[in-house]
Amino acid sequence: MNTQKSPLVLGTEPVGKLLKQYALPAIVAMTASSLYNIVDSIFIGHGVGMLAIAGITLTFPLMNLAAAFGSLVGVGASTVISVKLGQKDYRNANRVLGNVLVLNIILGISFSVLCFPFLDPVLYFFGASEHTLPYARDFMHIILAGNAITHMYLGLNAIIRSGGNPRTAMYITLLSVLINCALAPVFIFGFHWGIRGAAWATVIAQAVSLALQIVYLMNPEQVISLRKSIFRLKSELVKDILSIGLSPFLMNICSCLVVILITRGLKQWDGDIAVSAYGILNRILFLFIMVVMGLNQGMQPIAGYNYGARRFGRVVAVTRATIFWAVGVTTFGAFICQLAPRFIVGWFTPDAELIEVCVYGIRIVFSVFPLVGFQMVATNFFLSTGKPKTAIFLSLARQLIFLVPCLMVLPTFLHTTGVWLSLPIADTISAVLTSVMFMQAINSFKKKTFYS
Amino acid sequence: MKRTIITIGRQFGSGGRVIGRRLADELGIAYYDKELLAEAARESGLSGEFFEKADEKPSTGGLAYAFSAGLPNMGFYAPYPDILSNEHLFLFQSNAIRSIADRGGSCLLVGRCADYVLRDDPGLLSLFIHNNSENRIRNIIERQQVTKEEAMELMKKTDRSRASYYKYYTDKEWGMSSSYHFSIDASFLGIDGTVGLIREMIDRRRSLP
Repeated sequence: MNTQKSPLVLGTEPVGKLLKQYALPAIVAMTASSLYNIVDSIFIGHGVGMLAIAGITLTFPLMNLAAAFGSLVGVGASTVISVKLGQKDYRNANRVLGNVLVLNIILGISFSVLCFPFLDPVLYFFGASEHTLPYARDFMHIILAGNAITHMYLGLNAIIRSGGNPRTAMYITLLSVLINCALAPVFIFGFHWGIRGAAWATVIAQAVSLALQIVYLMNPEQVISLRKSIFRLKSELVKDILSIGLSPFLMNICSCLVVILITRGLKQWDGDIAVSAYGILNRILFLFIMVVMGLNQGMQPIAGYNYGARRFGRVVAVTRATIFWAVGVTTFGAFICQLAPRFIVGWFTPDAELIEVCVYGIRIVFSVFPLVGFQMVATNFFLSTGKPKTAIFLSLARQLIFLVPCLMVLPTFLHTTGVWLSLPIADTISAVLTSVMFMQAINSFKKKTFYS
Repeated sequence: MKRTIITIGRQFGSGGRVIGRRLADELGIAYYDKELLAEAARESGLSGEFFEKADEKPSTGGLAYAFSAGLPNMGFYAPYPDILSNEHLFLFQSNAIRSIADRGGSCLLVGRCADYVLRDDPGLLSLFIHNNSENRIRNIIERQQVTKEEAMELMKKTDRSRASYYKYYTDKEWGMSSSYHFSIDASFLGIDGTVGLIREMIDRRRSLP
């Protein structure tokens, strides 16, 4: 995990081996949380019903927004704490810990306080109906009540990971997934708490993990540990943390806006059932997207280092290998979703009508899915080779620039089909754009390899 | 002779680098300014141009982490550091500074927060060289071949960037006297006089029991 100790290895070992070594843990972490969301949806779909799935779907934008605030603090905290630890500046590293905890409590509570009074109108705006609103509201009330816990849990995990204990951080993440998966069915099927059961399972799982993190960090033997005098907010530290976290924060906000457009459109043309269908589709989509993201995360240090070491041939090689695996994963996803969509959607709901609506959507949305694997890795190539702005542009192209106009125009003519169609159309256009820019970049790389 | 590690922080155009160079020559010790970047490049295996580009610049920000997934409920961030970020390059550079100090001989290091990186070294003498604006602007015009306006602009910009660089990594104020052992206005004694003064300081320090 630590690239700083022996960076030279990244320039010499075979890229295939390195990719496996770096990508596997990332993929495990990414899919674990995706699976957690899937399992939750399955329990809700079977234990509570079709409208409840729609209710959960309507909370996606708010949950994304909360996660955006989490990344606002978490990313900056990771960066700053690893800088301080690299210099053996333990006093300030501990201050980062204390400041992050306080920032997360402040942000977590303010977010809840601001959301509570406007929850109903906001959910209606996202596309809720009088049938789905109670589910979304019940769920959000509990999530918002525990929001400070969620934020502290995420912040401390970021700190534990960057503080040199990525393994501990991973076990804590997996633990919270396991607790949630164990509690959710008990609450939903055993206690008949309905959608509230799912929310309670989430909050309790995070509270237990948070308690564990605190016990772990109370140990004064640890390099970073909780102690007095670290909690006073230091303005420079807060400024550093927040300014680093700003761009991930904005990216998360963008993804939240697009979800709102989709759920509103679906509600307008086909009502609650289409919103439920999107909820299921989104869970399936994300499982594959998360695997590709894990691959991307594993590729980044390898491509980044070799680009820095001017070993362009190795950059091209690792990019090619990552594209191979990513397209493999998304092609596999596309095949399953075209060949056996009823089988997969059937996990989430017994409702025959919902299955049909969802299958119709999945067939359209997954039609060009293999392109998405390529597009994401090619975007990551720019990120790893010192062109983060190009990468952000290409990423926004798929998720925002081409998608939003499609979502505004197509449904007017094609209704629900228009909403579904917008996704593959935006994927295709952005894949074409990305491949043109990618080919140019690769060619110039090959020339450089030739001359060097 | 006791081992001394001299670090020199300096305002742009203050003559700090010239003073450092001459001091190192007179004392017959190793001198590191841009040479540090080459050391860092060699140790990390990365190309020197990345260290040039990031040289004494503050944080690159979180642009590279823009895709860190913030999944609802879970949220985790990019698990690996961005190797080409200014932060990571600074780590490589600091390691290079430490390994230079570990070689055991006396040496002189200019800039790059070396005073902070080596703050626990018993042989450290940390200095900051500043100068009045007229001298600085004259030096900048001479060295960079620019007009007076451009020189003033350059001076302001470089000061700002060095200050935020220093503060980001060290948690101390750049150019504030309490951040260093000594802070010297080079206009008071001139280049030669200042070099002499520092040599005198070192001699006195070495003669302490």
